[in-house]
Amino acid sequence: MKDDDLHRILSQERQVIPSRGFVIAVMDSVRREAAAPPPIPFPWKRAWPGIGVAGLMLGALVIATITLLIQGIPNQPLWPPLFLALAPIFEVWKAVGATWIVLALVLSFASVKLSTRFVCND
Amino acid sequence: MNAAEDQAAVEKVLAGDRSAFEGLVRRWQGPLVNLAYRFCRDRGRAEEMAQEAFLKAYRSLDRWRRESTFSTWLFALATNLYCSELRRIPVQTFALDHLAEPTDPHALDGRLEEESRDRAVRRAVYTLPPKYREVLLLFYFHEMDVASTARSLGLRQGTVKARLSRGRELLRSKLNRLVAQHVRKEVP
Repeated sequence: MKDDDLHRILSQERQVIPSRGFVIAVMDSVRREAAAPPPIPFPWKRAWPGIGVAGLMLGALVIATITLLIQGIPNQPLWPPLFLALAPIFEVWKAVGATWIVLALVLSFASVKLSTRFVCND
Repeated sequence: MNAAEDQAAVEKVLAGDRSAFEGLVRRWQGPLVNLAYRFCRDRGRAEEMAQEAFLKAYRSLDRWRRESTFSTWLFALATNLYCSELRRIPVQTFALDHLAEPTDPHALDGRLEEESRDRAVRRAVYTLPPKYREVLLLFYFHEMDVASTARSLGLRQGTVKARLSRGRELLRSKLNRLVAQHVRKEVP
């Protein structure tokens, strides 16, 4: 089939005329939209302290994990008070196998992001 | 209503005159519904999609930078919405085996009744991967204007040309395969 044939066939499309009530339906939804209260904004001011603390904890965990990986169980902890404070967390972390959970979550997140990206680029 | 009138209507809406939006809807309802129809081949769904596109346009009117015309912005917004919508709930695509059987199989190789062949070609477009299908649909909607197609899809013109070429190639090969299948059936 030649390009000209394809052009001719695909250019000739049936024209659809919107139904009579279309404009009214659109304007009704616009009015509803305008009448609806504005969405409640995310309370960033209240959330920032929590986010900050979570960030610090995460940073401390990363440092502690790297230190443990490099030095094994340290004889002389890098930051003794910090390790002392984090010791119970490490115990719980170890008991529930949190490393594997985190690894599984990261892998799941990565695979979802990757597949979404493939779908969007298709 | 021309581009200046579109802009004036938008300014009115942004100033609080909601009814000015009705003029924009009246002006662009035909093109937006027709574009949606090309994507989904379902009149009811096309109107729903176009309605959603107008609503989204209303919500984001203040984000329209006047670098392009209102219509260009509106088409880009609608195209984006239609593509997302169809990826969420795809149109029922047809395997080539399910394409319409010609009433006269002997006429397949160039002698197939015109109407039946045209229908088969249009349906075959929906069996293409989305990135080729979308470009083909937009290109013919915009009366074969590559620049408008590129603007609507937010792609470079070179990308649009490459996808058009590949899309047509795929379409031709699908149609040739269909013809070959029918010829094989006829010749034992």
